[in-house]
This record gives sequence, structure tokens and C-alpha cells, in this order.
Amino acid sequence: MIQAVDIIKHGGSRPTEKFLRDKLHSSLVAACLSAKAPEGQAEAAADAVCDKVIIWLQQRPEVTSHDIRVVAARHLKSFHPEAAYLYEQHKITI
Amino acid sequence: MDILSSLAIVTLAGLIHASFQLSVSVLTLLSGHTIGAKRSHAKLLRLTSSFIFGTGLMTVLLLSFTSLVLLNIFGNNAPQLIWAMACGLMVCVAVAIWVFYYRHEKGTTLWIPRSMATYLNKRTKLTKLSGEAFGLGLSSVVGEILFIIAPLFISALVLIQLPAVWQLIGIGIYTLVSMLSIITVWVLIGSGHTLARIQQWREANKHFMQFTAGAGLIVLGFFVYVYQVLGSSVGVI
Repeated sequence: MIQAVDIIKHGGSRPTEKFLRDKLHSSLVAACLSAKAPEGQAEAAADAVCDKVIIWLQQRPEVTSHDIRVVAARHLKSFHPEAAYLYEQHKITI
Repeated sequence: MDILSSLAIVTLAGLIHASFQLSVSVLTLLSGHTIGAKRSHAKLLRLTSSFIFGTGLMTVLLLSFTSLVLLNIFGNNAPQLIWAMACGLMVCVAVAIWVFYYRHEKGTTLWIPRSMATYLNKRTKLTKLSGEAFGLGLSSVVGEILFIIAPLFISALVLIQLPAVWQLIGIGIYTLVSMLSIITVWVLIGSGHTLARIQQWREANKHFMQFTAGAGLIVLGFFVYVYQVLGSSVGVI
């Protein structure tokens, strides 16, 4: 069980949010599906990456949304490199 | 200027417009969100087609509007000063593209107002209907107006000299050529290529595209200056 972690959004320009596993999970699934991964593989990869991110968060009461994106992308890379690339690129395409 | 040279200038201006990347970025994001939301391939094609139709329509409207304004002000022949100013505008925009078209960071982030980029990002994520995708296409062309103004302006100057039928043909050529890059990406997405590979190619070649757009504007500006400004002056002498 993870203690409440505050997520600092947009470097502090938007209000902080509590960490939500489901939110991270759906963004990871969407990235995997965008990379043409089958639905089952997308769910499994998202589950595994969420678990790793939660372990990483356990010693941190406060992180930025960018940190979470970087850590999640790093772990996703071992499951689906193209999905990890799309996940990383999402905020830096336009 | 004869019809063939005029259409050649319009075509080159359209190619320069095609090398600008905002619409391609938005199309890539729109496709990513649509596939990620488990929508069907038919829905993906409907949304992306509507987006492309929107970009095409806005390009036609902008070019027609610029041509109409110039025609009302100058008639069929703009003064040499305006031609010289258009050439100067092209060189300035070319230098601006070389210096800061892409932001100096990872990805393909463009030097457009951040509020516009955030708006397009949010709208892309919320787009579910063809009408919304069409509006997004319109907005993505407007978002890059700072850069496309140079090829649009020179094309409008060239077009107002032509007979009415050739003006319409010229607008059609410019619009089609300027959409070549998004049509290519649309075909790639429709034929099953992964977005990651398309985006990787774009990221790897972004500096080449940046150089090409700037160099194209310089070449076009130089050609028009020699042909229209210097050529006419020598003819007068």
C-alpha cells in the first residue's frame, strides 16, 4: 500500500494532485495501444510499470508529474520500446 | 511574369509551406489519442480525413483572402516596393526558421506561442467527432501563421497578376502542394505504419526539415527579387 504522494503539476503552475494509480495505468495503456500493442499486452505492461513506479514513489512524499513520466517511460521501455517512446514524446510533440 | 513561371513560384512556395510541421504534429497526436482510446480504424480515418480537409480549407481561405486584399489595394500589378518588401519578408522568415523554428530540446516542440500549443494539445485529446477534427485542422494552420505568411504572401502577389481561371488553378496547386506532408503522414497512418516510427523519423530529421524550409525561402526570395525587382528595373532602364 502506498502512502499519499503529492504530484506537482506543470512545475507548480497548476494545483498539486494525489497520485492515482488508475490515471497512470490508463495513460500507459493508451501509449501501448497507440504503438499497436495487443490489448492484453498493453494491460500487462501497464500493470508491471505501475507497480515499479509505486515502489519508486514509496520513499518520496512529493514528486513532479514530469518525474513520474520519466520513470514510467524508463520502465515501459523494457516491455515495449515504441510505446515508451510515444509516452515520452506525448508532451513534446507540438 | 508568364503563367509557367508564376505557377512554378506558387509550387515552390507550396513546398516550403509543406515543410512546416505544426499540422503534422497535430495529426500525429490526434492519431495517437484515437488509437489509444480503442476507437476503430474507420473512426481514425474519418477523424484524420476531416482534419486534413480542415487544413486544406483554411489554406484556401488564407491564400484567397490575402490575394483579394492585395488585388483590392494594388489591382493586377503590385508596385516594385511591395515585391521588394515580400522578398525581405521571406529572408527574415527564413533566418527566423533557421534560428528558432524548433525549440532546443528533445522532441519536435515548435517555436509557436505556448498558449497555442497547449490549446492544440488539449483540443487534440478531446477530439472525438469529425467536426471537431475539422476545426482542429483549421486551427493548426492558423497556429503557424507567423511562418506561413511568407510563402502565402508571395504566392498571393504572383496570383493577382494572372487571369481569373489561372488564379483558381494557382490556389488549387498551392493548397495541394502545401498539404503533401500531411497527406503522406495520413497515408502512412492509414496503411498501418506505427506512430512511433513516424515520430522517430520526424525527430531524427527535424534539423534537415528546418534547414530546407529556410533555404527554400531564401532561394525563392532571391529568384523573385532578381526576376521581378531587378529584372523590371533593368527593363525600364
